[in-house]
Amino acid sequence: MVMLRRKTWRDIKENKGVYLACIVVIAIGLMIYTSMSIVVENMDKAQQAFYSETHFADGFINVTGYPENKVNSLMFIPGVDQAEGRIVKDVRLLDQQKDSNRYLRMVSVNMTNTPKINQIRLLTGHLPNDNQSEILVDPQFFAANHLSLGDSIKVILEGKQATFYVTGTAQSPEFIYIMRTAQDLYPSPEDFGIAYVPLSSLKALVKEKGQVNDLVVTLKSGVSFDSVKDSLQSKLKPYGLQSIVPRKDQTSNAILTSEITNIRSMTKTLPVVFLGVAAIILYTMLRRLIEQQRVAIGTLKAFGFTDREVIRHYLTYPLLIGTIGGLLGGLSGVALSFPLTTMYKQYFALPGLQSEFSFKYLLIGLALALFFSLISGIRGSLDILNLEPAQAMRPPAPVTANKTRLEKITWFWKRLTSQAQMGIRDVFRTPTRSIFNVLGIAVVFSLMTVSWSMQNMTNLLTVVQLEQVQTYDVKLSLTHPAATGATKLALTHEAGVSKVEPVLEAPATLKSGWLKKEVSLMGLAKDSTLYNILDKNGQRIEVPDQGILLSEHLANSLNVKAGDTIYVESPWRKDPLGQKGENLMVKGVVPQYVGLNAFMEETELQRFLRQGEISTSMLVKMDQSEVGQMKSKYRNASNVTSIESLKDTGDKIRKMMDSFGFTTWLLAILGGITGFALIYNSSIISLSERKRELASLRVLGMTPREVLRVITSEQWTLYIFGILLGIPLAYGLEIGMAQAMSNDLYSLPAELPPVALLGAAVGTAVSVIVAQSWAFKKIKSLPFVEILATRD
Amino acid sequence: MGVLLEGKDLRKSYHTGEVEVEVLKGIDFQIFQGEFIVVLGQSGSGKTTLLNIIGGMTKASTGELYYKGQPLHTIDEQRLTLYRRNEVGFVFQNYNLMPNLTSYENVKLAVEIAQNPLSVSDVLREVGLEAWSDHFPSQLSGGQQQRVAIARAIVKNPELLLCDEPTGALDIQTGIQVLISLQKLNREFHKTVMIITHNAEIAKMADRVFYLKDGLLDYVKVNERPLSPEEISW
Repeated sequence: MVMLRRKTWRDIKENKGVYLACIVVIAIGLMIYTSMSIVVENMDKAQQAFYSETHFADGFINVTGYPENKVNSLMFIPGVDQAEGRIVKDVRLLDQQKDSNRYLRMVSVNMTNTPKINQIRLLTGHLPNDNQSEILVDPQFFAANHLSLGDSIKVILEGKQATFYVTGTAQSPEFIYIMRTAQDLYPSPEDFGIAYVPLSSLKALVKEKGQVNDLVVTLKSGVSFDSVKDSLQSKLKPYGLQSIVPRKDQTSNAILTSEITNIRSMTKTLPVVFLGVAAIILYTMLRRLIEQQRVAIGTLKAFGFTDREVIRHYLTYPLLIGTIGGLLGGLSGVALSFPLTTMYKQYFALPGLQSEFSFKYLLIGLALALFFSLISGIRGSLDILNLEPAQAMRPPAPVTANKTRLEKITWFWKRLTSQAQMGIRDVFRTPTRSIFNVLGIAVVFSLMTVSWSMQNMTNLLTVVQLEQVQTYDVKLSLTHPAATGATKLALTHEAGVSKVEPVLEAPATLKSGWLKKEVSLMGLAKDSTLYNILDKNGQRIEVPDQGILLSEHLANSLNVKAGDTIYVESPWRKDPLGQKGENLMVKGVVPQYVGLNAFMEETELQRFLRQGEISTSMLVKMDQSEVGQMKSKYRNASNVTSIESLKDTGDKIRKMMDSFGFTTWLLAILGGITGFALIYNSSIISLSERKRELASLRVLGMTPREVLRVITSEQWTLYIFGILLGIPLAYGLEIGMAQAMSNDLYSLPAELPPVALLGAAVGTAVSVIVAQSWAFKKIKSLPFVEILATRD
Repeated sequence: MGVLLEGKDLRKSYHTGEVEVEVLKGIDFQIFQGEFIVVLGQSGSGKTTLLNIIGGMTKASTGELYYKGQPLHTIDEQRLTLYRRNEVGFVFQNYNLMPNLTSYENVKLAVEIAQNPLSVSDVLREVGLEAWSDHFPSQLSGGQQQRVAIARAIVKNPELLLCDEPTGALDIQTGIQVLISLQKLNREFHKTVMIITHNAEIAKMADRVFYLKDGLLDYVKVNERPLSPEEISW
């Protein structure tokens, strides 16, 4: 059917703007799908391969000190396969700059017996020699600090200076996403990295000889961590058990896995949104094409073309558009997967993470595009194509003309110009098309709200958390839980200090029925002003004398609400009767955007732990100018793990948030393009349908702008309905997105502020106006005399 | 001459809203191979409906229709399509050419589905449009467009040529040119031609004239000496 193919090609050329718009929207959807799918597969593959190659641990245990020679005995616990002990120490780098705050987490590696768990992969250089002061560092710290092989690094280890020489870079499966504490949110390789030190060398430097403070275990196949946890806990409790974490909750793994899950869920939703809009455009466009070519269809049938041949011919349009859009989107998605993978490599140090050309996703993408195009093609064409030729040759019966419901509001209707009345009536006369367009506008609008609400979310994370919740200037974290009195007193007398508040953070397991969660249980003074618990309206809430407060995300994970009772246990608890925990009443559920905590009154937590008046960190309110002085004084103290200045943390987080701004703007731009395509298509269709009407108006003496009002009134009516429908849709999207993106590190609030709705409404309006201005050009060049002279 | 088409008590009704309109109220006729038939009648007399039924474009509500002795009223849509494809050529008042195909391509379109097609160039030469084969319909006059439509209809080499007001949109000179082409097909190529018109002058060219009135075949007039197109005028 060479001639029919030629006809198709020329039809497309005549309406290239509309077809192009449709191709662009399909391509956007497919680009997102292909790129994200490739990235998620790359990450998943690299994660699985690296975990299995390096024998990633199933459990991570932190103790004060456990005899090295007893580590093998853990393997006798039923279900445990391998167990290994390590020394893990956070050390501060000795820098010339007095308030510099760079840390390394030193992890011992047995150089004589290759570890069976959490092996490291050497990336550059060579392995350190046993008993030598040599280290491997993680590649991101290496790069961010401009290190070279052979460079020396001076550190303060347990109050003593030590110098290490960098022999290379290496990667371990447990530090793919590197953060010093969970509150950091993002890796900061300039300030914190991982160093792998020969066990013999590190042993020689630490005080506790013959002891390890970190244990990792692997389990026999088919064994769940929960089934061995109790045995491990009771065996290790006498050795100062601090935390016992299954693989799924290990910070690096949890973040990597949650990121993979997030991207995967995005690949399933976002492209469908864009392809859905493309299907709407294609449907309305084909419907119009077929209505316009009604006589041509009749003629083809009269000449003996079979229904199948005619249908095949008209399905060529969506198939062609789907193929071009699918290929363009697929190929640009493949291309985009390379920089995207590189971007993820900045956050996840995952060896083997690289992108490659994927035929699989190109083909799946193409199939998706064809599926959506074909569905819209079939929906748009079948009923007319089913007409018998004689019927098709006759012009369609005029659309039934009824007064619209809006006309009953006479005071409103009478105020409208004739053009507006024509436009509005048309909305109601082609209900299917109008419904589809309203749906499309609603989708575009809700996509745009995401963009604005992301700004709101980042604002909540930074402003609320860093300015309203955490109101201290400096946080001093102690190496071990220590008696509060002396430390507090010492700090109170430092220069510039106006207030010191001790905080106790204890590891705890919260259980409700079969649900449980490992969290940090935070004990706060009732009158604390340096760490505030806020309700949804930003009002401060006092910690209750008894019972416990849960963060929203935590309460949801445990499926509990205020008034319920949960069972709380902590490895730190020293109960004379041997009870691991006790039942506590949930006194309230509070929003918490950063971290996943439960809160108790400080003395109540101390009572629960039965360890006396202890604390794990000190919050300090002080003069900003004295912060540097404070840092340099305490950074070398053996009982201080870290000194965190809130201002530095805030700056770091804001910098990271800014880099995410790009993604939100990209989504807004893609939404805008989609909105434009949708409205442009609708304008062109209105224009071609109403050519004669509009030409008559021009002959009557109306200017092109006056004529345009017929089309714009129709579109603004659709716009208003679209926005109205878009508001609940945006809320739904917001809730879904907040749930999908929240994890144990941060929970995003499902809030849609009025400014987000307003911003999205304006954004959508802009795409409508741009599309209309293109339509205006067409109206200006309308050959109205010719149009009126020809038969429809 | 054998019987090409035979209709028995053909009736056709349409539903418009809640009203049923009977357009054909029982028509009986015979058309012989190689005949030149003109159907005359006023608007609404059922001419186009009759042509559509004969051409297999729609089916009669009741009645029987035979083509070369084979029933058309009982066959399925697929076989009816084959009948249109292989046996019938259509010419419409408004030409119904594909606007974005050239004259040559419009004719070639029909060749692509025909069983025993003629050469496109030969047919275009026959209708005097060889020099215009590369032009799009918008670049042709009405008469030229109608001749392309005739070329498209005859290139399939059909037995029966059905023309619905072929000169309705043309001036007299151009109309006569079109009629010359149609008569040539009938006389030289022995094609059966059936023309629907409300122009009584054209009826003078016919071998027989069917007069339709209110959905019934009022009477049939036999022309002893059919005129050539050059001899008529309106």
